[in-house]
Amino acid sequence: MVEYYELRELETKAPKLFGIPTGTKLDEMFYKIEKEGDRYVRKPLGGIPHLSVMNLTGVPDSGKSVLAEQFAITQANLGYKVLFVTVESPAHFLYTALKQKSEALNANFEKVEKNIVVIDASENDELRENPKALMDTMAYAIKEKKTTNTIIDSITGLYEHKEVMARQIVRQFFNFLKKFRQTGIFVSQKRSAQASETAEAAGGLAVAHIVDGTIVLDKKLIESRWDVSLYGLPIGSVLRTIRIDGCRLTGHDSQTWVFEITEFGTIDIIAPLNEYIKSRGK
Amino acid sequence: MEIIAKPKGGNVDKMAEKVFLECLNILGGLRKLVEYRNLTWLPSLAEASYVIVLKNEAFKTYAEIAKELGITEQTAKNIATADETKVKKYLEGELEKPNEHVAGGIAKLAYKKLKEEGRLDEEEVVIGNEEMEVLDIDWAVHVLAKIKGLDFPVGKDELMERLKGMIIKGKKIEDILESLEYPIKTPAELLHKIKEKL
Repeated sequence: MVEYYELRELETKAPKLFGIPTGTKLDEMFYKIEKEGDRYVRKPLGGIPHLSVMNLTGVPDSGKSVLAEQFAITQANLGYKVLFVTVESPAHFLYTALKQKSEALNANFEKVEKNIVVIDASENDELRENPKALMDTMAYAIKEKKTTNTIIDSITGLYEHKEVMARQIVRQFFNFLKKFRQTGIFVSQKRSAQASETAEAAGGLAVAHIVDGTIVLDKKLIESRWDVSLYGLPIGSVLRTIRIDGCRLTGHDSQTWVFEITEFGTIDIIAPLNEYIKSRGK
Repeated sequence: MEIIAKPKGGNVDKMAEKVFLECLNILGGLRKLVEYRNLTWLPSLAEASYVIVLKNEAFKTYAEIAKELGITEQTAKNIATADETKVKKYLEGELEKPNEHVAGGIAKLAYKKLKEEGRLDEEEVVIGNEEMEVLDIDWAVHVLAKIKGLDFPVGKDELMERLKGMIIKGKKIEDILESLEYPIKTPAELLHKIKEKL
């Protein structure tokens, strides 16, 4: 077994840096720097970095699953195979959600249906409680169906009642996706005591420390005159935000952006929060 | 949309079985255990094999392992944290009996070997010829269970007393025992002699 490499030996093994589209404005928020003539220019990556494993975290109903599903539909519609591991929502509910969203996104549902493979861990204790069983099943799906993208919604569901094991379990799944060359998304849930705008989630910072990057989704209830004045939204409404908290593989926009979940259940990222406030606030 | 709702692997029982059989290999095979009359180690090795698999493959907590196997959390922890290098030296006669869970250390050695060789994930359980010779016939297990605690070498009368009433592959054990030569020196010799008469 090789125990060390000289840096130059890794050149051929290093993955190429390009984006895997999510079907949202996030695709423009990851970028790389390239030299053009004498100057360096920022070029949008066009998606989350290829072969990265990204963490989507946020409080309940902040849009994590919506974003994960939109990513799955976008990829499947482009002809790429997606493995969707559903830990929370039973597969038939996922089917309905994907069908509705496909229509809203003008995606070809026949193609989407053909290109998405689902592992339903929500209704099978063995798949949920035994990571080895789930990984073997995922390996089967990846090899047999030749998937290139994997979504686990949610990774938290795999250590729900034993957060002390979070680091070990997340590490195993992270290594697994790397081994099988998957671009991955882990959806992770926050606990009530965790600040909603941070990368922290169930299991502490375990997920955030291990994965390649974290995207934080948040929501704010407009509940005071100050909020009404600042955000220009009616009292009782909800302001949703999204932010790339970090990514070790490539550059990224670090602003907080405002987004909406449309009536069709899709994500529409609108503007950076500061610009949004300037345009709407009084 | 294809939906996969059942696991395609990761069978804890099969993995524990492989670790258990590898433990036997490490100890020189089942025959060695029979010859040295160390069959009482088997339950501990089986238990330790499960603990190691549940801990390292199924990522169970000590509390979950204890509950599943009906042992204490401390036992599960002792097994999982046994120093396998000390146990290895003990087995090789380089160390006095260490203050470690010996079966735990053996199961860890077996597990590591299987992992390194990529055999833990293989579909089939491969049993060595020596084990097959004894294990593929369930009567052997029953004979060993009935003679447990018997001092060898042993004579016909003692065996008659312990094994009377057994029928092996349609033959009465009394008839088989009548035809054997005595004394019989070890349990393994007994199994072989019975097998020759079947």
